[in-house]
Amino acid sequence: MSDDKKQLKMLAPEGFREKLSRRAFLQGGTAVAGFALIAAACGGSDSATETSNALASGDWSRVINQSSGTLAMYTWGDYNDPDLVGALAGSTLSVSMKVDYYASNEDLITKLAASGGSSGFDIVVPTGPYIPQMIEKGLIQKLDKSLIPNMVNVDPNYLAQDWDPTNDYSVCKNWGTTGYFYDTTKISKELTTWQDFIDTCMGEASGNCAVIDAAPNYCGMWFWANKINWNTETPADLDACEKFLVEEFAQHVKAFDSYPSTKLAEGAYSIAMAWNGDARQAYVRIEEAGGNPSDWKWVLGSPNTELWMDNYCVAAGAPNAEAAHAWINWDLIPEISIKDLSYHGYHTGMKNMSQLISDVAPDLVDGDMIFFGDEQVATMQTQLITPALDRLIDILNKSKAKAGG
Amino acid sequence: MTVSVASYLRRRWRGPKYLLAIPAIVWYLVFFAAPIAFIVLYSFGTKDSSKLVPVDLSSLSTKSYSAVFDETFFKTFRATLRISVLATFLCVVIGLPVAYFAAFKVAEKWKAVILAAVVVPSFTSFLIRTVAWRIPLAPNGTFSKWLVGMGWISENGIQILETPMAVQIAIVYNYLGFMILPLFVALDRIDVRMREASKDLGAGRIATFISVTLPLAGPGIVAGVLLTFIPMCGDYVTATVLGGAKGNMIGAMIASQFSGAQNWPLGSAMAILMIAAVLLVLIIGFVITWLAPRVAMLAYPIIQIVRRSIYKRSVARKQTVKQEFRTKFEVLPKVLSAWTVLVLVFLFIPILLVFLHSFNYGGSFTIWSGRSSTKWWGELFNGGVMVAVLIRFAVVIFAALIFVRINRRRESFSKRVLSLVMPLSFVFAVVLNGLITEWYRTIFDFAGIGDSIRNSFIAAFGATIIAVLIGGMSGVALARRPGNWTKFFMATVFLILVTPEIMDAIALATWFPRIKAIPIVGIIFTNGWGPFNGGINKLWVGQSLYASAVVTLIVRARLSGIDESLEEAAADLGAPPGRAFRQITLPLIASAMVAGALLSFALCLDNAVISTLISEAGSTTFPVALLGATRSTIKPFWGVGAVLLFVVTLSALWFLAVILRRGGDSASKIAATFTGS
Repeated sequence: MSDDKKQLKMLAPEGFREKLSRRAFLQGGTAVAGFALIAAACGGSDSATETSNALASGDWSRVINQSSGTLAMYTWGDYNDPDLVGALAGSTLSVSMKVDYYASNEDLITKLAASGGSSGFDIVVPTGPYIPQMIEKGLIQKLDKSLIPNMVNVDPNYLAQDWDPTNDYSVCKNWGTTGYFYDTTKISKELTTWQDFIDTCMGEASGNCAVIDAAPNYCGMWFWANKINWNTETPADLDACEKFLVEEFAQHVKAFDSYPSTKLAEGAYSIAMAWNGDARQAYVRIEEAGGNPSDWKWVLGSPNTELWMDNYCVAAGAPNAEAAHAWINWDLIPEISIKDLSYHGYHTGMKNMSQLISDVAPDLVDGDMIFFGDEQVATMQTQLITPALDRLIDILNKSKAKAGG
Repeated sequence: MTVSVASYLRRRWRGPKYLLAIPAIVWYLVFFAAPIAFIVLYSFGTKDSSKLVPVDLSSLSTKSYSAVFDETFFKTFRATLRISVLATFLCVVIGLPVAYFAAFKVAEKWKAVILAAVVVPSFTSFLIRTVAWRIPLAPNGTFSKWLVGMGWISENGIQILETPMAVQIAIVYNYLGFMILPLFVALDRIDVRMREASKDLGAGRIATFISVTLPLAGPGIVAGVLLTFIPMCGDYVTATVLGGAKGNMIGAMIASQFSGAQNWPLGSAMAILMIAAVLLVLIIGFVITWLAPRVAMLAYPIIQIVRRSIYKRSVARKQTVKQEFRTKFEVLPKVLSAWTVLVLVFLFIPILLVFLHSFNYGGSFTIWSGRSSTKWWGELFNGGVMVAVLIRFAVVIFAALIFVRINRRRESFSKRVLSLVMPLSFVFAVVLNGLITEWYRTIFDFAGIGDSIRNSFIAAFGATIIAVLIGGMSGVALARRPGNWTKFFMATVFLILVTPEIMDAIALATWFPRIKAIPIVGIIFTNGWGPFNGGINKLWVGQSLYASAVVTLIVRARLSGIDESLEEAAADLGAPPGRAFRQITLPLIASAMVAGALLSFALCLDNAVISTLISEAGSTTFPVALLGATRSTIKPFWGVGAVLLFVVTLSALWFLAVILRRGGDSASKIAATFTGS
């Protein structure tokens, strides 16, 4: 994990963002799309390798399994390049895709549990820590790894995680972290920590701030600011968290919004907690709305913050499990993976990422919001599912009621 | 009425009185009473998220109810009722002048235009119209910048989004049409002679309005209030899209208890208390409307004295003064027409914005990028297939047009047959296109939206057929075979109408997994049958509940307005009951059935709340897919999809209006048909 990260950080030096206009980003996006099309059209694993010398050195696997029928994916909002879940999937894999969205892991679990294995979804994308309970409740099925040979392209650092040590059920889709995004024309102070975020929400930006609508993140903000492990089960910590967030903080919140990027651009909030990929998209939206992206600043939460990883899984009773495997396998082809990355702005866990980016998407902007240095990654903590989660959900729930007019 | 042969025959009619209502009774027992009973049970349980159904029923308690009465949650209850009551009131205040103007002040053909303008916006996707309100209200939006530029508001721009104010505006907007139509129908039915008589007896305009027009419009106001207030209380879409943390409504909170928080007992308790609150508000409302005139009667002697003195004074004045007074009041129609125009503009703002923003160059539906482009239309449609489909349509319809022209001259067919040629050719073109090209599969490049639009129509058609069948039958039974069962049945129908959608949604979503193990039923709702998957079958059930209740009421109202003499005559002439039903009753209720079907179809097509909770992959409807998309950035192609849906629904409406007009109905009658009264 170590050397890669430093190089990646260098891919996106300071001031990089200002230099490249949003147009360049959009054009970069199409260039990647064109490239991926060529790669996909070549089809076979050997011919595609000729497209780039550097790429050939990474002994990448590019197997494409043809499939058929319709493929239903249940995922987070706007979480794949539209081409990859649309026309390109149709022309490359001969599957017709349907995508539905959920807003939280609990939503996903409720939906799958309520239909008891007949939800009709093939691919689902839970966050790592939720995988064990989904296995236990029988909501996801074992992967047929022989159908996913491209798994070798994934950096071993992002495989064999605690929640699924043998990757029998899941494979990394991408990972990300949490920070916040603010308008420097409205907020005069320079913000760097979670405590700054909380103070600003309760002060200068009171009634103009948004927080992520997920209990672990919302409560995590307070734990991180107070240097408490966010996986704490200590009743005293939880009580203090509830007291502060429900009694003092909630009334200042304008919205519980997991995807604030569009609304930031509409001007609805002057500061918002956001996942890094969504914050990166906010730059595009702000420019579209005629705003000035350089007025906005992204801050990675500190002293500690989150590290989450979303994973591709195949739902139990999936009507078209074969196509699900074919699609997942296809998305693990490096060029396709980078195309996805350029769209959603999250690290997809491919090995040799720095080399891959410089070969496939040298124009990628806002790299510092996608790739993080060692010191930064060291401050990120993965969520654990503990009995305290019910309590956190309860705190969010009460805060929402309290925030209401 | 004398004892006739008919009543003798009817007494011989075997089977219980509720025979025709049996399908509805079974339907409501299985898909309404039983699921709701489980919700009641859940509300006494405790949360246990380790289970598949996360409720522990081993120790029952009322803990969840006391949690609702906790100050934090109760605040949302109050806010919801406040928003709904105020919005209902605003709908009456805004809608009444429009309905009054349309009913009394304009010519017949303008009535049709105004009514069409009121109805048409309601047939655009409810959700996209709500989302469209974000466009003019955005603090960084064009409108806001213009206001700031004019110096009318502060530097920060419009600060309405994510507040209760935004919810209030959008909720009034969303339900205004449902208030204006029943008001219009009620006002339009008032015999003009009553108003004239009132004026001849010396009452002024205001006195006539208050003591003649308003009481006669009472039933319309009641219908309008019921049609708006109840759905408002359960509405969670508007609050989710526009309300932020401050504009939270109870519907959204209940939904989040079931999905996000996994706290079913609390959600159930909230839903039950919400029904109680809705009923309470309605009862209070009706007690007030019942009491008000009676209290006013107490003051009658005083009013009489005042009136006499006014009359004496006015007689004492010169005739010329009165003339002046009259002319001054001629301003009223002008004010009313200006008001109507304003309201219509208000109703059309979001529609125009949806259309405009479907041509947005940028990647977000709500943010205008300053450039227009047809790329999102291209993204959605496969150009070649679309042109081919349109050409086939044009050819078939053109051929039909020529056929009608030629035969009209020759008079070889009756006019009635000819009038059907055009609609039939339209249907033929749809079938032809579908048969030879599967165009509905290939016309859309972006399969998701195309599928969702097709699913919306399949779900709405199926639910409408169920609603018309069971609702129509029970409507006939209620009107023609009343008895002890009527009370229970009407109570159930009323309960279905007042149950907020979110509660039905949750009850059904938790009910289907329970009945999965039952032999045939289970298969229908898991694997489906024929070309219809399990999700579509669930949607039919979910959407048909409210719709069938509406059809029941419409059919019953239509039949109870006509006495039984026609059926009796048929029986006297020796027609067996079956034949009398086919030849007499059915034609009588046909228009009510059409009205019910239309209203059901519109309601089902737009259904987001129930559908979201029970739909599955492969049965995702347009509102469900769009609601999913609102969680992140809404792409402009959703606007394209909404425009498409709008055009299709509008042509269906036009189609129907043409048929009704051929049948000789006036604009008012058509409006009455559409509202079902």
